[in-house]
Amino acid sequence: MTQQKSERIMNLAICLLMSRRYLEKARIREIVEGYHDLSDAAFERTFERDKDELRSLGVPVETGSNDVFFPDEVGYRIRREDFELPAIEFTAAETAALGLAATVWESATQAGQTTSALAKLRAAGVDPDPSRLAALAPAIGAREPAFDTVWAAYAERAPISFSYRGETRQVEPWAMTSRRGAWYLLGYDRGRQEARMFKLARIDGAASRIGKPGSYQVSDTMDVDAAWTRLEPAAPDEVGIVALRTGRAHDLRRRAVPDETPVPSGFEAFALSYSRAGDFVAEVCAHGPDVIVLAPAALRQAVIEHLTAVAEGVHR
Amino acid sequence: MTSAEQVSRLLALVPYLQRHTDADVDTTAATFGVTGKQLLADLKVLWYCGLPGGLPGDLIEIDFDAIDAGRIRLSNADYLARPMRFSPDEALSLVVALRAVGELVGDDQGDAVASALAKLEAAAGVSALPKVAVAGGEAEVRDVLTAAIDAAETVEFDYTDAGLQPSHPEVSPVRLLVRDGIGYLQAWNAERGDWRTYRLDRIVAIQRTGRRAAVVAEPPVFDPGWFERSASAREITLVLEPGSRWLAEYIPVQAVTELADGVELDLLVADPAWLRALILRLGPALRELRPAEAADSARAAAAEALAAYRAG
Repeated sequence: MTQQKSERIMNLAICLLMSRRYLEKARIREIVEGYHDLSDAAFERTFERDKDELRSLGVPVETGSNDVFFPDEVGYRIRREDFELPAIEFTAAETAALGLAATVWESATQAGQTTSALAKLRAAGVDPDPSRLAALAPAIGAREPAFDTVWAAYAERAPISFSYRGETRQVEPWAMTSRRGAWYLLGYDRGRQEARMFKLARIDGAASRIGKPGSYQVSDTMDVDAAWTRLEPAAPDEVGIVALRTGRAHDLRRRAVPDETPVPSGFEAFALSYSRAGDFVAEVCAHGPDVIVLAPAALRQAVIEHLTAVAEGVHR
Repeated sequence: MTSAEQVSRLLALVPYLQRHTDADVDTTAATFGVTGKQLLADLKVLWYCGLPGGLPGDLIEIDFDAIDAGRIRLSNADYLARPMRFSPDEALSLVVALRAVGELVGDDQGDAVASALAKLEAAAGVSALPKVAVAGGEAEVRDVLTAAIDAAETVEFDYTDAGLQPSHPEVSPVRLLVRDGIGYLQAWNAERGDWRTYRLDRIVAIQRTGRRAAVVAEPPVFDPGWFERSASAREITLVLEPGSRWLAEYIPVQAVTELADGVELDLLVADPAWLRALILRLGPALRELRPAEAADSARAAAAEALAAYRAG
């Protein structure tokens, strides 16, 4: 059955693509293989389903009329310029990057979609070539249980509902981002009537659809890129003076500036900028006796209290 | 296999086969991500497709004798010379994959990734595309590493491991890879006579040495699970203040138990230095640790640091 159905839909697509005029349903029934032998009712049903299926694949099946005097006589066509992938050419360096893209996705669904996209590029004469960047193995995972349903809703612009930290949320997905292995969704929260960000790992179970594909518009006033920057640490606006033990704490040295403050032998003084004092205290303390805060006094005091909690607290 | 998936593939297969005359059956199947058997089924469908009218000259022609020899010859389908546009899902999946590539290449190839992305986005006509951020360190570090791999040279650098222990290894770099959003270097460490994995964002002051890289076999398959399965790993339980629950999302935990006034995390720890740094980092947020003696070295380190503060 699948084979005959595929043949019929292919023939319908070719027929609509070849026609410059809108083709009336009766004419389609006559000329497309697979429709002749159906009863009137079966033809109507089958044709509607086939047409919907083509549209669901992204084939732009247009409805319209050739006759200005009888606009009720509707017909169908596929405009070639809407159907075909536009001309696209890549440099050798770009095709190398495209070739590498084939192996990136760890989740099967998106890996399959990437393969189809690259196959289309190959069919358009592009030759993605992974061999030039063989030493690179980028990867992107999607292990969050809600990922597949959220991703599909985002791709098709379908509103979804999910439980987030025990609360039901109704969201129109606008954009997604992967940051350090974790996926985030930005969307319009219908309940709260404003844009909200969600971490997919905090969605309980899967998400379910509460509307049809294409049933909302993505905000055109929202600056999506600006929203994502909220995930990044704030720009550093405070400076601490620290003593780093010689040969240790390379991770801090990378963003440190040498400083003239006198320090005991075996140490070197640096200025380090930071944004959130609490995070900075934790980062300094992780190095134990290899990093000593010299100034400001409040920061130094916070580190002493933090270390005292470790020295005295963790023993029960 | 639904007919929707099949039709979508056929609409790309027809232009592909017209552009790649005498295409190899296995290569074509791999290109489209299907088995040889499925590809054959696809071709049988196409055999019955063509221009309306259904006369023999209207149908797509396929040389089935050539297929027996592993070659595909398809003709009489000039009207399907170009593939269909990307579906939204295809465009988004490819863009994310390419952005992930962009996070691992250095500045040298970064421009090519950016320009390829711009062309794809224009062709796909999609907006609000997903972003990808990987903890992959500095682009200059990746540039030095990829250049050294190409030139088969060793590199040396300052490294700080997860337990904050410093080292200055000289290694033969082999591969850059990403797991769970973190970029790593896989390299042969001749001094230790073993493969080592280094986090890219913990590599500083990297230099090519000009010395030949060791000629070694393929590195082992990188497995982020090594951490938990290491033979010397021991079970540790942390009891945290409620506000520190986020930690469970950032370290590999075996189990999370919600308590009335906090949260309990069970984890397997292979590296004592890593645990010491974690305990020092948590400070007062860590209410209890089991077994208690696992905190001894962190307590000693905190006491040593406090002595330095008192002296200063």
